[in-house]
Amino acid sequence: MKTLGLLRRRRALLNCAPISRDQLADRSMRAAISREDGSDEFVNQQNFDRAVAELVRLVPIPAESAEWFSDKEAVRAPKWTWRRILLNPAVLAISIALVVIAGVFTFNLIGRLNDFPGSATTRKLLTVAGSTRSVMLDPVSAEAGTLSDLFFMKHGLEHYDVPEEFADFRTIGCRVFDDDESQRIAQIWVAEKHMQFFLFPAERDSKTGAVLAFPGWRYVHQEGWVGAVTEHNGVCFMAALQGQEKDLKPYLSGPKQ
Amino acid sequence: MSDRKQNLPQLYRFCFLMLGDSRKAQEVFNATLREAASRAAQGELPKEPFWLFREARWRCLEASKTDLQPEALEMDEHDITSQAASQIKQLEPAQLAIWISAAADPQRTALALFYLDEFDYQEILDIAELKLSTLSRCLSQGRRQLQAWLDAKHPEAQKA
Repeated sequence: MKTLGLLRRRRALLNCAPISRDQLADRSMRAAISREDGSDEFVNQQNFDRAVAELVRLVPIPAESAEWFSDKEAVRAPKWTWRRILLNPAVLAISIALVVIAGVFTFNLIGRLNDFPGSATTRKLLTVAGSTRSVMLDPVSAEAGTLSDLFFMKHGLEHYDVPEEFADFRTIGCRVFDDDESQRIAQIWVAEKHMQFFLFPAERDSKTGAVLAFPGWRYVHQEGWVGAVTEHNGVCFMAALQGQEKDLKPYLSGPKQ
Repeated sequence: MSDRKQNLPQLYRFCFLMLGDSRKAQEVFNATLREAASRAAQGELPKEPFWLFREARWRCLEASKTDLQPEALEMDEHDITSQAASQIKQLEPAQLAIWISAAADPQRTALALFYLDEFDYQEILDIAELKLSTLSRCLSQGRRQLQAWLDAKHPEAQKA
């Protein structure tokens, strides 16, 4: 039975014998042909196949179809050009994500560069300034510079002094309140451009308790309000108004930091 | 893709043998290459070898579905003679193509792929998805039937 099977397979291989000898790569095919090579039947088959293949090679190629042959590149996988790499959806998505991350990082970095000791408190106070109504303050009509005595005498707040740049401004009212960290905050409303002043304790080092001082004026922005902040004798002063830095600049003397 | 695997003139000849009609062969050939170009542009060209021939084969079978189908007749079969080569030389390529395209599949595919003289038998088995025994039977019967047709067409050569 095994021999019969082998004979059948050899016969099957011979029926599929290649027309050109250069296609004799298969070992079992080579073996089958070497056994049969020279027999009349196989020679006739090979001559027959060669004649048919020769005829097939004479099949003319229409000019319209031949146009494809000069454009073989059309069916090749496209090469990876820089433009193609950049327009790849995965690369594009990663690039956009990196740009967004870089943007957020830069935004935070710039924000940090403008930070100074107590900047978080000043931002909160700008929010307070935005929500304060004049009826909430005790009416006081005086020069802002004179209120430091009031804060000291009435509330025991030492060095709550209005800087000389703003000392001459006429006040409408003032109050002293505790913020959410139980810090004593003095708030003054002046007639000039509806400006508000805030005086509050400067930030201190959590370990040593030393005042974290900073020189000159610093700007801070929050919800359409702008504040100019300075520190003196462990107390911060902030002049705030609704607007931009350029609205506050004319009032400040000394170098802006 | 190697040049052999995308031998485009041979691809056209394959379509012609499968369909026996130059116009239909061009349509299938162009459609196959358009599909390949479109996939290549999208970077989705299949990596499998002989994809073009496999795609063209299915398109040929699809295109000839609506044609008149050959009757299931018992065709004459003759032994291959030593005069066969000279009988074949008297044929036109189109006559051979019409004869092959009239065969039922898978014999049609087997004969078309084999006589392209482009692939070895294992590659033909792969493209046509056939077993060796089936390919062998298709080719053997095909030769004998073609010989019978040649004998009927050119009896003078047979006598010589």
